[in-house]
Amino acid sequence: MVRTMISTTIAVAILIGVAEAQLVEKIGLTLDGAKRIAAAAEAKAKAEGARVVIAVVDDGGSLLLLQRLDDAQVASVNVGIDKARTAAIYRRPSKVFEDQVKNGRISALALHGAVALQGGVPIIIQGNVIGAIGVSGETPQLDEDIAMAGAVVAVTFTKP
Amino acid sequence: MRYFNSTAVGLLIALAASPIHAESVSDKRGLTLDGAKKVIAATVAEATRVNAPGGSIAVVDDGGNLLALERLDQTFAASANIAIGKARTAALFKKPTKVFEDAIKSGRTSMVTLGGDLQNFTPLQGGIPLEWEGKVIGAIGVSGAASAQQDEELAFVGAKSLDSMDMAGMTNGHAPLPVIYIESQKVSAAFTKGAVLVGEDETMMHAARNYMVHASHRDKAGIVEIHEFDTDILYVLKGSAQLSTGGTPVGTKTIGPHEFRAPAVNGGETRKLVPGDVVIIPNGVPHWFREVEAPFDYYVVKVR
Repeated sequence: MVRTMISTTIAVAILIGVAEAQLVEKIGLTLDGAKRIAAAAEAKAKAEGARVVIAVVDDGGSLLLLQRLDDAQVASVNVGIDKARTAAIYRRPSKVFEDQVKNGRISALALHGAVALQGGVPIIIQGNVIGAIGVSGETPQLDEDIAMAGAVVAVTFTKP
Repeated sequence: MRYFNSTAVGLLIALAASPIHAESVSDKRGLTLDGAKKVIAATVAEATRVNAPGGSIAVVDDGGNLLALERLDQTFAASANIAIGKARTAALFKKPTKVFEDAIKSGRTSMVTLGGDLQNFTPLQGGIPLEWEGKVIGAIGVSGAASAQQDEELAFVGAKSLDSMDMAGMTNGHAPLPVIYIESQKVSAAFTKGAVLVGEDETMMHAARNYMVHASHRDKAGIVEIHEFDTDILYVLKGSAQLSTGGTPVGTKTIGPHEFRAPAVNGGETRKLVPGDVVIIPNGVPHWFREVEAPFDYYVVKVR
């Protein structure tokens, strides 16, 4: 009986919802958008005298744009990308995981593809994560502040 | 104990000897983020010019560490990392990566293991060292264009753009371009039909030039134009026209990279232009010469 109901429901759903169910509209971040975000983060970094790497990834966590500011430590390149990827694919600031570890949930270190380091922030448009920005090179808080200064620019974005 | 002693002695000797022997340290040229951005801009301009389907462009320093990267819209995601690998390989070996691809292709298969503990060794065509005064100061890697060949061609243009750059403190950015003089006869000839005065035979985003100059001529109304990047600065010379700006274009079509056209626009404002008027239309603003009293001639500087 239950099974029949389910299959009936599915059949009805298929009949009604072909177009809606099979595909979904997705907003993607363009290189232009990534540049605007990075530019805002770079401005913030310069205002703070911060020497950082700024990485912007798409919603799949793949790199779209990276800028290593002059004098930033080279190791921050990979840390910056890692933070951005973490924020993109887990759709939350990477600080969440750093806090978890700090509060005793050591197993958060084992999350696949994540680094539990503050400084990665998702880029959000209309409630959807379309990418993320990761910053590395200074203190965890300053890294995140710089990333945030970039991520907020997304509210000004418009579609063509 | 002996270890520490001898180390200490070694240190003392080093200190004693060190009063800066000329050979102990050397001057090194480094690429700044600004330089890396310009190399990427030149590469992107070339990619646009040749209509490359996409591309990830990575610039690394002489240690093979990433300085800047841009992935063009629609380029497959994996290309970002491949571009970094190509650039890193070209920088650390001070050779175009094609050298490795060719060697492996012609039978030296064992070379694929050359990477060893070298992270991201990528023996694929498309990485070119960046040279300054004969020294390798970094490298550029391109991936995701039409072919490995095109990847390399783009990288080469990027690497070449360094030639027009200067060291910090000399000029801000690039070597001065030649002065352009166009004599009046040529200018008036250009206005009879409308022509590009400067910028036609090269990509507008020439590494050192960010403008074009048009001698524009209209006999009848046009269609709605939207330039994603170019700001138009107009000076009316002859005739008059009704110019609509702003509003929402209807039925917008892409006619080329960063160029859009539409048959009509909803809303916006309309002005009558007469000789002597100056109009500045920022990039992204739809504009439309909807009525023209011919011949309508106007001088345009397009700034990107």
